[in-house]
Amino acid sequence: MQKGYSYHYLPNGIRLIFMPTEKFKTISMGLFLHQELKPDLAASNALLPSVLEQGSRLYPDYLTLQRELENLYGADINTDIMKSGERHILAFTMETAHDKFLGENGRLLFDGMSILGSVVGDPLVVDGAFREDYVRQEKNQLVKDIRAMLNDKVSYALERCISLMCADENYGVYKLGRIEDYDRVDQAGLYRYYRDLFARNPIDFYVIGDLEEEEVVGTAGQVFNFNRNGEQLTLAETDIMHPVHGVRQQEEEMSVNQSKMVMGFRTYTGYRDELYSALLVYSGILGGFPHSKLFMNVREEAGLAYYIHSRLEKHKGLMVIAAGINYDEREKAREIIDLQLTDMAAGNISDSELDNTRRGLCNQLRSKQDSPGQLISFHLDGSVGGKTYSIGELETAINAVGREEIKAVAERIKLDTVYLLRPREGGAS
Amino acid sequence: MTEHYRLIENRELQETLYHYRVHPGMDLYVLPRPGYRKKYAIFSTRFGSIDNRFRVEPDQELTVLPDGVAHFLEHKLFEDERGNVFDRFAALGASANAFTSFTQTSYLFSCTENFEQSLEQLLEFVQEPYFTEQTVQKEQGIIGQEIKMYEDHPHWRVFFNLLEGLYVEHPVRNDIAGTLESISRITPDLLYRTYRTFYHPSNMALFVVGDLDPGRIGALVEENLAAHNYRPMGAIVRSYPGEPAEIARQRTVQELVVSEPIFLLGFKDMVAGELQGRELMRREILMELLLDVMFGSSEALYNDLYREDLIDENFDSEYTAENTYGYTMIGGETRDPEQLYRRIMEAVAGIKKEGISKEQFERHRRKVLGSYIRRFNSLEFIANNFLSFRFKGIDLFQLPSILHEVRREEALALVEENLDPDRHAVSLIVPPEEE
Repeated sequence: MQKGYSYHYLPNGIRLIFMPTEKFKTISMGLFLHQELKPDLAASNALLPSVLEQGSRLYPDYLTLQRELENLYGADINTDIMKSGERHILAFTMETAHDKFLGENGRLLFDGMSILGSVVGDPLVVDGAFREDYVRQEKNQLVKDIRAMLNDKVSYALERCISLMCADENYGVYKLGRIEDYDRVDQAGLYRYYRDLFARNPIDFYVIGDLEEEEVVGTAGQVFNFNRNGEQLTLAETDIMHPVHGVRQQEEEMSVNQSKMVMGFRTYTGYRDELYSALLVYSGILGGFPHSKLFMNVREEAGLAYYIHSRLEKHKGLMVIAAGINYDEREKAREIIDLQLTDMAAGNISDSELDNTRRGLCNQLRSKQDSPGQLISFHLDGSVGGKTYSIGELETAINAVGREEIKAVAERIKLDTVYLLRPREGGAS
Repeated sequence: MTEHYRLIENRELQETLYHYRVHPGMDLYVLPRPGYRKKYAIFSTRFGSIDNRFRVEPDQELTVLPDGVAHFLEHKLFEDERGNVFDRFAALGASANAFTSFTQTSYLFSCTENFEQSLEQLLEFVQEPYFTEQTVQKEQGIIGQEIKMYEDHPHWRVFFNLLEGLYVEHPVRNDIAGTLESISRITPDLLYRTYRTFYHPSNMALFVVGDLDPGRIGALVEENLAAHNYRPMGAIVRSYPGEPAEIARQRTVQELVVSEPIFLLGFKDMVAGELQGRELMRREILMELLLDVMFGSSEALYNDLYREDLIDENFDSEYTAENTYGYTMIGGETRDPEQLYRRIMEAVAGIKKEGISKEQFERHRRKVLGSYIRRFNSLEFIANNFLSFRFKGIDLFQLPSILHEVRREEALALVEENLDPDRHAVSLIVPPEEE
């Protein structure tokens, strides 16, 4: 547990995490409703935050809600759906400027939290259902968003790789779900689903700012006094042990100029694993930084790519390598990448690579303390991953990682899928 | 030695900024932020992609650069005789980066330890050019991939296609990275010549922010620059071709693989390019308020368009003003670009008659103020924006005072001048025809 944070359970089971600090200009809040990620629930989960943001009982349409927020000095409400391992999290955040910079007298905490509470806990309901037009409109928008994945080729290639790799796992579903499922959702069923979800699923509620604990707890108790007397659910854990049987290769043609290569690996190492910090260091040395092997060799030495990196999906235990390259140079790029992986496994890691990566990771960790959003997402990772590290604990663990631990990680890692988006034969367009 | 020293106070934000003028004429800004773990520094030169014709007083001869030199230089400064610069920052636990815009090139790092050593590294590598035939050639390959990546990026393309439509002559119509052809003409000699002009400290500024002591930073920077023995340099005279009031091309359509059309409408501003300092900032604030009143998510038009499925939540309007150009852009992804175009143009034609209510204007004014304060959580936001405004002769800290004094009549008056249907163009990305 982090020093200075305070934890409270509201009478209805919502967990309140208050992080007092004087350094920000804002009051920041985030409410996260946890659900399991499952292909047939994904569309409904994705729809809910969008529909709720369209209007609540007190602010029955989007325009009214937006005006209320503007009068509150442009307070910002954001709704989102997050995929974090095999958790699907409905996210609602609220940020306002702090009263002390506006000559207001401490009303922004209450007013801001009330709007958030209204959107999440007091939705607009007509005859036991969400409004039909809001649901129809948001279904349409989300289906468009799913199709629009195609517009950014870098993230499209990444999503394609993940969906191939995890085709028969819950993780394989896109965070906005499947297009065909949207037809099956109706406004009454969606509302019943939300009532159930809101009553029984775990909720984490964060507040960060220059505030008194007593006031925060009191206000939260007053605003979030919704009845949620259902039995509290324990959610299933993410499966990180899915076996690899041979490497899946897939190429897709499109009218593009640049090829995107994405290699998906399984690390068999989750957030709670003793080797989690070693995995961070492994991926960092391989491709997490501009000093890393992939950047240095594929880009700086060979000049084959502008972007090349490795990234982790920490809760699912996946690692991906992504690069934008010329199709004709794909084999050359792949050779250099494979060489780096071999070096990692053989422990061919210089002192400075090891040292610089540990420093770089610790720098990223410490920097999180300067952003309310990052403070929240780091803590939320603990909630999802079933282990709450403090920033200091994780720093210590990273600094203790040596070549032995990295080697142990390398032995676990298996290449699962290689996806290549390539220009259409005969050139672009 | 320090030529000049002063404090800039901001009451609204409760911030005190330290400003030093360091020999030979470089501005240094230090903003202490107690309680922050991170420290951030950004070192910028007033040299962007549009500065491709210039001379240095008293010389009369104009140097003309191929497109993409500022960006190319940015890449190349990360390599010198001692090797790769990223490594040196990494050894200190600092994270370094850089970017090039139309009007400036910036080098930056953030760290949570070894700040002073990292700051020295920043100052050193930017002041240490090293270009060879071989390294220039390799960089042409890397930047070639960067250009190709952007060629596939529909939102990037729709933006540059619109600038090409709006501008006949001004180099803002050219891609910041240049083209595969233009960067093939870049040589080590050209890079050295350009470097010597634009990387003289009198053309640069440094902003440092975090939990730190301004006096120590001032002394460190002074000492570093003094060791380089700079001679004063003549003024840089930038030359931009005269831009006619007319636009270049009313409509640009490009096919790319996208899920639905991407639409962007732009208006060329012929006045912004002649304004400086407070006047320019006043115009930016008024335009932000005006566009928010016309197209913001709290207003009827946005909500109608959303309900009619003509826009999504990424629909946006934005005004940009620099010392030599300015433009407004409005748009997003849409199923029906023709209808969206018509609705936006109707709103532009109608706003004069409809006017802006007092309630509306005050509401948007509060929103701009609150958003401004919120952004000051981010050290990067403060430093990056302070310097880019500074290069336009604007003090970012003056925003609240100007925001309080602007009036809705002024905003309304800008419609005719700045959203002139005679100076608008449209850019469209559409999915390829089915084969």
